[in-house]
Amino acid sequence: MLEIKNLQVSLAEEDKEILKGVNLTVEAGKVHAIMGPNGSGKSTLSYVLSGKDGYEVTGGSASLDGEDLLELEPEERAAAGLFLAFQYPVEIPGVGNMTFLRTAVNAQRKARGEEEMSAAEFLKVVRERAKTLKIDADMLKRPVNVGFSGGEKKRNEILQMAMLEPKMCILDETDSGLDVDAMKLVSEGVNALRDEGRGFLVITHYQRLLDHIKPDVVHIMANGRIVKTGGPELALEVEQNGYADILAEVA
Amino acid sequence: MGIAETRISQLQDRVVGLSVPASAWNAENRTAAVERLQSMGLPAPRDEYWRFTDPKSLNAIEAPKAALFDPKETDVFDTVDRLEIVFVDGVFDAVASDDLSGSNMTIERLSDAEGHDSHWAADCYGALEAIGQTPVQRPFAALNTAYATDGVLIRVTGKVEKPVNITYRHANDTSDAILHHVIKLEEGAELTLLENGPAAARFNKSCEVFVADRAAFHHVRTQGRDHERRAVTYIFADLGTESVFKSFTLTANGALTRNECVLRLNGDDATAHVAGASVGDGDFHHDDTVFITHDAVGCESRQVFKKVLRNGATGVFQGKILVKPDAQKTDGYQISQSLLLDADSQFLAKPELEIYADDVACSHGSTSGAIDEEALFYLCSRGVPKDQATDLLTLAFLAEAVDEIESDTLSDLIVEKLEGWLERHRP
Amino acid sequence: MTLDQVEVKEGVDQETVDAVREVSTYKYGWETEIEMEYAPKGVNPDIVCLISEKNDEPEWMTEWRLSAFERWTQMDEPKWAMVNYPKIDFQDQYYYARPKSMAEKPKSLDDVDPKLLATYEKLGIPLKEQMILAGIEGAEDAPAEGRKVAVDAVFDSVSVGTTFQDELKKAGVIFCSISEAIREHPELVKKYLGSVVPVSDNFYATLNSAVFSDGSFVYIPPGVRCPMELSTYFRINAENTGQFERTLIIADKGSYVSYLEGCTAPQRDTAQLHAAVVEIIIEEDAEVKYSTVQNWFPGDENGNGGIYNFVTKRADCRGARSKVMWTQVETGSAVTWKYPSCILRGDESQGEFYSIAIANNHQQADTGTKMIHLGKDTKSRIVSKGISAGVAQNTYRGLVTMHPRAKNSRNYTQCDSLLIGDKCGAHTVPYIEVKNNSSRVEHEATTSKVDDDQLFYCRQRGMDEEEAVALVVNGFCKDVLQALPMEFAMEAQQLVAISLEGSVG
Repeated sequence: MLEIKNLQVSLAEEDKEILKGVNLTVEAGKVHAIMGPNGSGKSTLSYVLSGKDGYEVTGGSASLDGEDLLELEPEERAAAGLFLAFQYPVEIPGVGNMTFLRTAVNAQRKARGEEEMSAAEFLKVVRERAKTLKIDADMLKRPVNVGFSGGEKKRNEILQMAMLEPKMCILDETDSGLDVDAMKLVSEGVNALRDEGRGFLVITHYQRLLDHIKPDVVHIMANGRIVKTGGPELALEVEQNGYADILAEVA
Repeated sequence: MGIAETRISQLQDRVVGLSVPASAWNAENRTAAVERLQSMGLPAPRDEYWRFTDPKSLNAIEAPKAALFDPKETDVFDTVDRLEIVFVDGVFDAVASDDLSGSNMTIERLSDAEGHDSHWAADCYGALEAIGQTPVQRPFAALNTAYATDGVLIRVTGKVEKPVNITYRHANDTSDAILHHVIKLEEGAELTLLENGPAAARFNKSCEVFVADRAAFHHVRTQGRDHERRAVTYIFADLGTESVFKSFTLTANGALTRNECVLRLNGDDATAHVAGASVGDGDFHHDDTVFITHDAVGCESRQVFKKVLRNGATGVFQGKILVKPDAQKTDGYQISQSLLLDADSQFLAKPELEIYADDVACSHGSTSGAIDEEALFYLCSRGVPKDQATDLLTLAFLAEAVDEIESDTLSDLIVEKLEGWLERHRP
Repeated sequence: MTLDQVEVKEGVDQETVDAVREVSTYKYGWETEIEMEYAPKGVNPDIVCLISEKNDEPEWMTEWRLSAFERWTQMDEPKWAMVNYPKIDFQDQYYYARPKSMAEKPKSLDDVDPKLLATYEKLGIPLKEQMILAGIEGAEDAPAEGRKVAVDAVFDSVSVGTTFQDELKKAGVIFCSISEAIREHPELVKKYLGSVVPVSDNFYATLNSAVFSDGSFVYIPPGVRCPMELSTYFRINAENTGQFERTLIIADKGSYVSYLEGCTAPQRDTAQLHAAVVEIIIEEDAEVKYSTVQNWFPGDENGNGGIYNFVTKRADCRGARSKVMWTQVETGSAVTWKYPSCILRGDESQGEFYSIAIANNHQQADTGTKMIHLGKDTKSRIVSKGISAGVAQNTYRGLVTMHPRAKNSRNYTQCDSLLIGDKCGAHTVPYIEVKNNSSRVEHEATTSKVDDDQLFYCRQRGMDEEEAVALVVNGFCKDVLQALPMEFAMEAQQLVAISLEGSVG
């Protein structure tokens, strides 16, 4: 589904290479995790895939179901089914959460040539999905992420994911800033979305999130490359021994 | 007679007693300033730029009389190891001044230098003042450039450890002084300039500061306390790449003070901070007029002005941040606040933003109000006498401006002065 | 609040987004081909008398106009605003134009120029009100759908009709054209006209005093809550025509009225002049809400044509506890020069000013407010949101003054500017004058660009750039949009999006 081949990326403003040839394939229905120390390029990978400004792709490719992602505008990537749950979801003052969601849902539907969702249908679905994430009416009414706690912001990201029903979900450090209960809630939200047709790429620094969202494949990223790939046991190894041993081993 | 004619005819009367000192290298600069002045005339009370401050006493032919005042206390920077320069009523006092020499700098009197055939200041004298005449005219600055009788010329080539302190004494109750300084900091140079004292019955002082790339200029001044003098002062500064300019002024009474500061950030990543704390009791009119132009990328400017006013005192703030079209990544901040301690005092402000670049973060805030009664009550309930509690809260209010002084030694001296003044001026 | 209630508002926001997609040019840029009756070009005492005569005015009114004209000839155009435009030739304008079909009031539908009816329709005036405006007998009794809004439509220089007059009359409310008020209620007009904006107030107000051709008049008697919202639609149609309307609103003791004003003009490549005066008098315990959606033609993307909009609006809170609220959405006009002000004379009176000013392409807006605190315990609040795009210049200019007598008064000002693109300008020029210490004044202003992270976030969720900008800008304006009556809020949100078209990418 998501296919990344020898992806090389530099910062646009300075001549600094961040990704030095990343190879990765996420199949439909699978959960891949990327772990790695700070500064290894994990978040950069998520931004480049979703099309954020400020990065220059100097080599390689990335495609979703055969469609070249790197050629598309951010909104076209979204319409193609790529979703990024941000590490730091931005606050948008004055824009109601519901308005935002509905605008996004219908923009994507329209881009895909689908019928827009009616107000009644939209309301019904939001209400249902918000409930499972313990998002109350008040949170839906408030401006996007404004005054939300860390946990509320992440739950809101998962709600958006549930509403937009993407093919490929990237979760960027979704566990950061969450306490145990919030992590559980968010993980349940993610797990509920796991199905045959959907791929996940879970970026995390710690193993603990992977206790809740069980990965099929674990990659270790360091210095702009994927240096080791294995099963869930690899995450446990990191948990026990830290990154130093693995990095020393592959060096 | 139309307004334009009135300005000019008033000017002719005003400059009757003034003369342009002769100088080989400076004659052209002086003459150009005379021409600038002639084309402008004197300010009129209805001028937008004099909206809140009546220029009458500055326009007057004779300096209004200002009683001599002996504060019976040592000068504010007495305890600071410094190079001392003293002017009395605008006249250089050789006996009271130190030798004009120091490492990493040359320092000389303007009147001495003007006797030479050529001088490094030939390209500097009046240059920033001339540029600073647009978009707003500043006739008294042109008058200063044209007729200044003396001043100091400082050229700094490296880090100067000892601050240069200029003390302005006042000994004649009708003195009318005009001084003009030029300070040029070469690349990477550093200087701290201190100024203190009331200077004269009427004082017109201009200071042009050239801050080259990566140079740093620190300026702390006090303008004498409880004095009847009228003062109009100018700081014109040009800032190069990664340079630093920081200026703080304490004003404690004075019949009329208009401090103008005109800064241009011409090099990328330059920093300019201008701050002022002024306290006025009774016949006090204090005006801070600041114009900061951002003309380079990634510069930061801060303006912090605090005023404490009582017994009919007036505080004025006119501050402008102009961001030119290509001055992206500008960070401009401006705050002007006044604390009115009784019903008669007033605060007049015009904080302006004029912005032509989009990638900027600029803000200004302005507030005016009385002392926080709840805080006052809280302190009193803990046993602090009301007078003292008021002083404490007033100092806390002024702290944001005083904190702009980088040197703790100097800011402590300023706070000490403020404490003394507040104690003497309790209702 | 339940989710169902939330949904109502969400539906409104959706329209913004739809509007962005569907509308690509100035929506009101059509011209109605109706035969017009013009006075000769230029302004002089004869024209002033002619206007007075056409309106069938009493002599005192003609004299009032002539004295205004006399003063105007001695005045200069103000130059202090940050706007640049070619010199206006005041003698090259028509000062009076009206549809020929209005020379006599229509007796039946057949008499009404169908093009005039079509105009109303395009303006979005509800059908029933179209009928009433056209003067169809019995129209007042036809069932109206939804909420009632009484409409006075001013077409070029003259009021072409006012709806719901009878129903308003039952409540004691007078809502009619000012020309009618001068004839029918001279005692009220004499007492209040020029009492808030004096004849010699400023260049444009003085010109207006001399040549105003029509406008609206409102009187709400003591204790009456106006049973419906009152609305005026202004439209400049004829070429080279200056529109000088005059609005006078009097809210007597303990009364309340909400007044809406909408403005449109056809696209033309020569600039047209508009200089209106609005005076509001608010007596003890009365409250007036005045909302404007100003969408005069802004000129094309090269800066040709558009309306020069020089407006003087002022409310006088004469009585204790009186209240006024100005809300404006200024998206149109090539040049806007407008400072709706509040004189807070009565003790405990309150003034509020909420403003959205959008300047795109070559538009120039210099707008803001004056809050003049004279009475004790008076309160004012200013919320201004300025958006600049293209090569436009947008200035907030304001004055807050606390007089020595205005003890314990409060002002809060929030003034935010948003820049879209690096060729435009955003400026803030507030004047603050505090002359007593028991009053508190707070002023905050910020200037920034549209946040890239916010735009990226929206785009990652599937919105295109224009949609994302419209959404973020509407969020930026929320505090002001919320102050508008529901009907206007919807229109305003769409306008925000439409006005910013072409500003990104």
